[in-house]
Amino acid sequence: MKKYITLLVLAFVLIISCEKDDICLENTTPNLMLKFYDFENDTLIKTIKIDSIRVLNKGLISNYTAKSFDSILIPLDVNQYTTSYQITSENTSDTIYFSYDRNDVFVSRSCGYNTNFENLTIDSTTNNWIKAYNINTTIIDNDTTAHINIYH
Amino acid sequence: MTQRHILIFIISLLIHFSVNSQQLDKEQVEEKEQDSVKTKISYAIRVGVDISKPIISFLDEDSKGLEFTGDMRMVNNYFAVVELGFEDVLKTEDYLNFTTKGSYIKLGVNYNAYDNWIGMNNQIYIGARYAFSFFEHTLNSYTPNVSGTYFISDSVNAGTKFTDLNAHWLEFLFGMKVETFKNIFLGAQFSVKKMISSKEPENFKNLYVPGFNRVFSNDLGVGFNYTISYNLPIFNKYK
Repeated sequence: MKKYITLLVLAFVLIISCEKDDICLENTTPNLMLKFYDFENDTLIKTIKIDSIRVLNKGLISNYTAKSFDSILIPLDVNQYTTSYQITSENTSDTIYFSYDRNDVFVSRSCGYNTNFENLTIDSTTNNWIKAYNINTTIIDNDTTAHINIYH
Repeated sequence: MTQRHILIFIISLLIHFSVNSQQLDKEQVEEKEQDSVKTKISYAIRVGVDISKPIISFLDEDSKGLEFTGDMRMVNNYFAVVELGFEDVLKTEDYLNFTTKGSYIKLGVNYNAYDNWIGMNNQIYIGARYAFSFFEHTLNSYTPNVSGTYFISDSVNAGTKFTDLNAHWLEFLFGMKVETFKNIFLGAQFSVKKMISSKEPENFKNLYVPGFNRVFSNDLGVGFNYTISYNLPIFNKYK
């Protein structure tokens, strides 16, 4: 009988030692990171006062009153291949037209698939407060480094 | 004269008893020998079917499966075991939905730790298995995982097939078999499994393997079966 108790305890320990993988703890679909630099001196980070961020013909993502940012994270539309952002700063609005390919990458049982963006390009921008831009990377698979520099 | 007669009487009486007692001993010995000759050990193939799977199929239309088992006594309390089965299950997770289809074979040994009375064939056993499974997944649909609610991702009807996959693993188990009617056994068994290696699909994962069941994140699995089996006697050995 002692043998079976040992076996039962062993089985029980094995079962409860199973890691729980029902809760998604990994990163989800990455956002696009824009970082703002000084146009006169392109190595100098220059904050910008943002009033609102929105996708064209869509509701506001966020509404501020001249809040200063040195970088922003914005989501891209995972159902389309283009997203157009309108960013308003000190009563002037600029629109940036992004286009990209999508690649769905398996993460885990609980997280499912993330969408990574590839071949990111800026089709066009309006130039009210944006003076120039630079695409640092065309692959967006994380949101820890800046993907696009904006000079203003 | 009378004394001599008395002596003769006593001696003849003693001789009579001693002869009689010797005969009795002889009879007892013969009986014992007859008894010890016939210790029957029956060798038989026990074939069975897992009845939990059809019941689960009946209750849950997303899972279909069948498993056959067979075992045979090899030496003393060791039994060689084979289990064969197939499964076709639909699994739904938070962000995806897939179907796994495949077959498996398990080979191994059971050690019967139960001390039977003569003529009984019940078992309480521990055992080990080596198992091999070949299968395929179909990713029916998934929803890209997007945090926030500004963009709501649409479900993608992928229908992607991941074929030619396989896995092999080890199982440690315990269970019991009880002879309920003559030659009909009911059995229950619980197993803990550890994956040795598996061929993983590209851009997906073996989340479920037929025979292994759900693959937990550290490559462990659990399983049980509930069998009804028939004992097919082949030959008896006397010891």
